[in-house]
Amino acid sequence: MAHSLELSRRHLLQAGAATLGSSLAGITWAQGKADTLTMGVLSQQTGTFAYAGELVLKGAKLALEERNAQILGRKINLVVRDDEGKPAVGVRRLTEAITADSLRFFAGNFSSAVGLAQLEVAQQEKVFQYAAGGSEDFTGARCSPNTFQWSAHAYTALRATLEYVSKAMPDKKKIYTITADYAFGQSLLHYTKVAAKELGLELLGNDNHPSGERQFTQYFTKALSTKPDLICLLTAGADAVTAVRQFNSFGAKTVQLVGPWTLEVDQLKELSPQMRAGLVLGLNYYQDIDTPVNKTFVERYRKAYQSVPSYASAYGYDSFRTILLAMERAKSVEVAAVIKTMEGMQFDSIFGPTSIDARTHQTVRPYFVVKCKEESAMKSEFDFATIVAEGSKPQPLELNECKRKV
Amino acid sequence: MASLIAAQVVNGLMIGMLYALTAFGLSIIKGLLNVPNFAHGAFYAFGAYVCFAAHKVGLPFALALALSFVVPALLGVVIEKFGLTRLMQAPYLYQLLFLFGAALVMEQLIIIIWGAEGLSMSPPDVFQGAFDLGFTVVPRYLVFNGLMAGLTIVAVYLLIERTRFGSQIRAGIDKREMAQCLGVDIGRLITAGFGLGAGLAGFSGGLVLPLLGATATMGNDMMSIAFVVLVIGGLGSIYGAIAAGLLIGVIQSVSTVFVPAASTVLIYVVMVVTLMVRPQGLFGER
Repeated sequence: MAHSLELSRRHLLQAGAATLGSSLAGITWAQGKADTLTMGVLSQQTGTFAYAGELVLKGAKLALEERNAQILGRKINLVVRDDEGKPAVGVRRLTEAITADSLRFFAGNFSSAVGLAQLEVAQQEKVFQYAAGGSEDFTGARCSPNTFQWSAHAYTALRATLEYVSKAMPDKKKIYTITADYAFGQSLLHYTKVAAKELGLELLGNDNHPSGERQFTQYFTKALSTKPDLICLLTAGADAVTAVRQFNSFGAKTVQLVGPWTLEVDQLKELSPQMRAGLVLGLNYYQDIDTPVNKTFVERYRKAYQSVPSYASAYGYDSFRTILLAMERAKSVEVAAVIKTMEGMQFDSIFGPTSIDARTHQTVRPYFVVKCKEESAMKSEFDFATIVAEGSKPQPLELNECKRKV
Repeated sequence: MASLIAAQVVNGLMIGMLYALTAFGLSIIKGLLNVPNFAHGAFYAFGAYVCFAAHKVGLPFALALALSFVVPALLGVVIEKFGLTRLMQAPYLYQLLFLFGAALVMEQLIIIIWGAEGLSMSPPDVFQGAFDLGFTVVPRYLVFNGLMAGLTIVAVYLLIERTRFGSQIRAGIDKREMAQCLGVDIGRLITAGFGLGAGLAGFSGGLVLPLLGATATMGNDMMSIAFVVLVIGGLGSIYGAIAAGLLIGVIQSVSTVFVPAASTVLIYVVMVVTLMVRPQGLFGER
């Protein structure tokens, strides 16, 4: 019993010290006496998507370096947390960073599932989140005053991609879709139906595939039996890479494979040039975007990392750059002031003229459609594709489920 | 509808042959060691990378494919001879842990050597495109895969059923003590059997490379299916793995016509039902 009592006392003391410590940290921050500002990157540093976390970090570091890691006279302290791509871990790491490091602003998450889990914490703890990922919930049903969305809206993506297809290939009208059976895929399917109807395209059918599928020949066998003009892959990651490989084996030259939000540059490297040649893809970012901010970014990125930036690194760079710009305009590093400034803010980003929707917090930016090159047309190992179109049509208001009012 | 189902059956048989080949190697090792080879998936991945590397340095695809058998088989021999053998007298759990550790080491070695990004290799020109069967089209490379897997299974069948080495393997699986009493060197047999199983796993990896690509963790995906095939076919039943592999391939493919989203979960449903109705598997003995 005495032992138990001793432990309890020790625990009480520890808890008291921790509470006092965190309270003091809070007071220090609230009074603005600290000469440092903590910003963070929360993403996958280990696990299947470890590459993405590293790239987000590379981009964010470049944005900080542009300002010598300082803003409004404060030194910026960068914290990095690994969420392993798991929502529960992501929530824990964010909470730790807020209490232990006084994190106030973070880019997170490259994964929608983790980002949405962190959205609740961001709102509760009143910290600033700039999220990526394909879920429309960030700016829809779960829109939050503390969360902004960097990636394009699924509607914008589908509309841009299918609009290009309908203009460039006017004789291709019949679409078959193969969709990932989780929220992201279903969201893409929903907006494929919307955009196809707007553009007069016919949907022949759809098959949902489970996450982690490694055998796609049966889906293509079924899809090809309906004689489609286009097969739309509404899936992503390793599943998408496998699907493209296996579609390639059918040699179906008359059927155009389209990936509205399917593969990013990081995954294109995993396909042989022959497999990706002719593929039409919708992308959140591509290195050839012809804007002054992007040209500078690509040049600095090449110099620093001997590579070209991709979606993940562009997200890290542009989200951090935008937050810092908003701080400068707000003349404050307080979360509430920065949020207020960002709502409706117009600025030049890597995409050129960009704005942020004040109500939904969606970054209003273009979405890019690229066509992958034949190997003989590639000027370098990174020259995967040509930008053939871009579109920035926002989600129709009547389809948005965000209940926030400005 | 009938032609679509027929098309899916054809597709399923081709996929099923690959499942059968992978589970076949697993079944041989399980039979000999009485331990499920947790490193089987890693050998499968290793085979894919060996095939990729060999083709990349300019070797013809056929030779690259042969190496995807030989190199993992030799690695299997080394792992068995210098690792597993020492644990033969130890409890079952130690062997399992050893194989699990070996799989992790192999996965990490693959990442160190070839990187974490996936790799792709296009099928040879002769296997580009598809056969038009009238009611469906089947990728030529998928047909080649199915045929090669089938031929390999036949070759191993002949090795096991028609050779002295094969009869010793069968004896080692069915009546180990008796075989030992009759002078069969069980230690050497287990080493050779482990090498054969590892080689078959590697060969499967090499075969599927143009269809699935290569990733360090690709073995995990295959392992789950291989174990399902093994359980349905009957643990220890070498030939049960073939029938079960084909069955799973056809179920997975045909179910896409009716319930595509459930095509993967159906595989596990079949395994659960098999365990409930016939716990020893379709071809296993009680």
